[in-house]
Amino acid sequence: MAYKNMMNLVYLYLMTIGIKVIRCERLREQMYSSIEGGAACFRRLNGTHQAGCSSSLNGEVGVVQMIYNISDAQWLVHNSSAGPYMAVVSTTLYYDIIEILLRYPDNIAGILLYDNATMSPNFFTQESQCPNEYSSDPRLGQCVKPGGIVWNEKGTGLLRRDIPYPIFFLPKARIGDITKIEECYNRYNLDKDNQRGRPLCSLQLNSFMYAAVNSVVCLRRSASSAFLSSNKVCDPLGDYNVYYSLFPRAKETGASKKTVTLVTARIDSASLFDGIAPGAASSVVGLVSNIATAATLAKMIPVTDAKLYDQNVLWTLFNGEAFDYIGSQRIAYDLSRGAWPPVSPLSPSDIRLHIELGQLGGSLQLFKDSASWPIYAYAPYSSQNATAPQILEFMGEMSSYSTLNNITVSPEFTTDIPPSSLHSFRQILRNVTESGSLLEILLADHKGTFTNKFYESALDDYENIGYVYHNISIDSEGIFIPTADLLANGTMKETEAQVKIANLATTLAHTLYQQMSGKPYTGSVKASAHLVDEMLYCFLRSQACRLLLAADYASNSDELPADRPLPLYVGVAAWPSPPAVYAGHLIALLTGNHLHVNRTDCDKNADTGFSYYWLRGWNHSGICIETTMNFSQAVSPAFIKPDYDLTSGEFSSWTESVWQTIWARVFVRASGAGARLAAVTGALATAVAAILTFWLQRHSALVFIDAPSSVSSDAAGIIRTVNC
Amino acid sequence: MDLNRLSNDKKLQLCKWYFKVGCILLPFVWAVNLVWFFKEAFVKPPFEEQKQIKKYVILSGAGTLVWATLLVAWATAFQLQRVSWGATGDALSFIVPLGRA
Repeated sequence: MAYKNMMNLVYLYLMTIGIKVIRCERLREQMYSSIEGGAACFRRLNGTHQAGCSSSLNGEVGVVQMIYNISDAQWLVHNSSAGPYMAVVSTTLYYDIIEILLRYPDNIAGILLYDNATMSPNFFTQESQCPNEYSSDPRLGQCVKPGGIVWNEKGTGLLRRDIPYPIFFLPKARIGDITKIEECYNRYNLDKDNQRGRPLCSLQLNSFMYAAVNSVVCLRRSASSAFLSSNKVCDPLGDYNVYYSLFPRAKETGASKKTVTLVTARIDSASLFDGIAPGAASSVVGLVSNIATAATLAKMIPVTDAKLYDQNVLWTLFNGEAFDYIGSQRIAYDLSRGAWPPVSPLSPSDIRLHIELGQLGGSLQLFKDSASWPIYAYAPYSSQNATAPQILEFMGEMSSYSTLNNITVSPEFTTDIPPSSLHSFRQILRNVTESGSLLEILLADHKGTFTNKFYESALDDYENIGYVYHNISIDSEGIFIPTADLLANGTMKETEAQVKIANLATTLAHTLYQQMSGKPYTGSVKASAHLVDEMLYCFLRSQACRLLLAADYASNSDELPADRPLPLYVGVAAWPSPPAVYAGHLIALLTGNHLHVNRTDCDKNADTGFSYYWLRGWNHSGICIETTMNFSQAVSPAFIKPDYDLTSGEFSSWTESVWQTIWARVFVRASGAGARLAAVTGALATAVAAILTFWLQRHSALVFIDAPSSVSSDAAGIIRTVNC
Repeated sequence: MDLNRLSNDKKLQLCKWYFKVGCILLPFVWAVNLVWFFKEAFVKPPFEEQKQIKKYVILSGAGTLVWATLLVAWATAFQLQRVSWGATGDALSFIVPLGRA
C-alpha cells in the first residue's frame, strides 16, 4: 500500500513538472506576484531640506508583517529577528503606529498602507499641524506660538518630513492585493518566534528618487552640463492660475479704470502619494463655490451693463497653494511689480477688497442633518487700525443675505487667520495690507481648528463631504434647474452639500451685487444646486462628466478622459496639469457670451478685451465663447527672480524629484539554506581543487611516468620563440 | 618583448626611454619600468650597464610612489569631502550620484 502511495506521489510530481513545462511560464513570473494600482510616496525638496520617501536603486526588500494593533508594531521594532520588515498597515491604525515606525527605522524596510473599505479612520492627514507655517505671516496666527491655534490637529506632518524608507498606498479598490499578501503571510510568517532561517513571505517596494538634499543641490545638478552627465533630477513645482473678470479690463485706461473686488479660491490639494489628491474639503468645495458664484453674478449682471458700474470683480483661482502658496505668492509678487494681469496690470491700490473662499466643506458632514451651514468670515484684526467700514459693511450685507439662504455668517475679527492665500498677500504686499488699504476677508467653515479631519490627504474624497450624485440631465441650452424647483419636487433635500454650496454661492453673489450697485438685489437669479451637483461630480467622481465634456475644445478628438477623479496635485511647472485647464474652461463656458457664429468666424475674432474659445458646447455641436477668462503662470517667484537665494525662505522653493519606475511585488523569500549550501560547496570545491593541483605538481614524477625534463631542448627553443 | 633576448646596452636604452616617457606625467610607465627592470637592476649578476639601469629603476620607483601617494590622498579626500565641498564637489564629479548627497 505504502509503495502504491509513493508511486502516486511520484506520478503527481512528474505531472506537475509536466504542466509547468507546458505552460512555459517565466521563472520570474512564477516567483513574483506584482502589486498593481499602488501609489508611492515620492520625494519633494525645498530650499533647505528634502521631504518624502525613496527606496534604494533596486528597491527595498522586507519580510511581510501585518500590523493589526500597536503591540504588533512594537514587536516589529523591538523584538523581531528576521528583519528588515515591511509593515502592512491599514489607514485606521496608521496614526497610532507611524511614530513608532519612524522613531526606530533600523528594522523597517518600508510600509504598505492600505485603505480598508470596512473600517474607515476618523481622521487621516499627513499635512503638518500648521500648514504652510514658514510662509505664513508671523503676526497672523502661528500655531506654534504659545496659545496659538493648532489648525490641523491630527496632522502627522509626513508631507514635510524626510522618511527613511518607501511608503506605498493601496486604495480601497485594490483590497484584493492585500488579501493576497495576507494569505501569503498566514502561510509562511505566522510563527513569529521562529522566523530566522525559514522561507518567508516578503515584499519589494521600488520608488528610487533621483534628487536629494534640497532644491539648491538638485537644481544645480539638473542644470549642470557636465560631460556625459546632464541628468535632470528635479523640477520646480508649478502650474497655472486662472482668472476671469466680470467686465473686460483690457481696454480700460487711467480715467475709466474700475476698482476691483478680488474673489479667490484654491484649485490644488495634495497627498503623500503620487496620483492621489482628491481634496474634496481641502479645495474642491471652495473652488466650486467660487465658480458657482461667478456664474450666478454673470447672470445677474450682463457684460453689456459694464458702463453702469464703477467696480469690477476679478475671480482668481490659485494653484499650488499646498506648497507654500505658490500661486498666490506669484500673483502677490506680480502685483507688487505691476505685472499682473499681463494685460492691463493692476496696482494693489486698485483692489478694494480681497475675499478668499478658504477651506470649506469640512463641516458639511458635521451638519449633514441640519439645513443650516455655519460659515465664519475672518478679517485680520490689528490693534493699530480700526476695522475698516467697508469690511463691516460687507459682513453686514453678507450676513443679511445669508439668513435668507439658510447660512449663518459669523464675523471673526482676529489675529489668528487660518492657513490661506491671505498670508501670501500679507507677506508680500505688507505695506498695503498692514496699513489697511488692501482689505481682506476669508470665508471658512471652521472656527479655530479645522473641521476637515482629512486635510490634504488621500482620503479627502467625496465621502468626506457626504456627496451623493443626483445625475440630472442638462438641456441643450445649458440651463440648470433652479434649487427651489429641486427642493420642491423632492429631488434634493435642504441638508445636502449641493444645496448648501449653492446657497453660499447665492449669498456671496447677492452681496457682491449690492457692493457693486449700492442697492439690495431684488431679482430672482440664484445659484443652482443642479450646477453644483454636476461640478462636484466632475471634480470628485469622474473627469468624464457632462460639464467637462461640454467645456472641452471642440477640436479635441482625444479619447474620453478617464472615469476617475482628477488628482488635484499641482505637479511640476514643466507639464501643465488638467485641473487648472478644466476650471478655466468651466468658467468660460458658464460665464462667457455664447456667440452664434461658426468656427472660422470664432477664430477670426480679435477683440483684445476678450478671448475666444471654440468649445464643444452642451449638445456637442461646437460653440463660440467670448470670455475674459485667462491663465497666468503659477510658478514661485523664487524661480523667476534673478539672483534669488533659494535658502532664504522668502518664497516657495519646492521642487519634485524625478524618478524612473515605481513598482511593488510580493514573493516568498527562500530561507537562505540553499544559498548557504551552494556557497559552502563552492568554497570547498575550490579548496580541494587547489590542494589537489598543488599535490599533483609536487609529485608529478610519481603520477606521470615521463617527467617534463624529457622535453627536448629544441622544442623548448621553439616554444620560447613562439612566446616572444 | 623578452628582455633576455636583448643586449645589455639595448636594455639600458629601453629603461632610460621608459623613464623619460614617465616624466611627461605618465606614472604608470614608471610603474611598468620598475616592475619590468627590477630583476635586471637588483637580481641579475652585475654587468656594465646595471648601475645606470638601477638608477633609472630607483628613480621610476620613487616617482611611482610619490604619484601613488598623491593619487590615493586625492581620491580619499575627494570621496570623504565631496559632499561638504558643495557646488565645487559637483563640478569636480564626472558622474554625479543619484538620490543622495
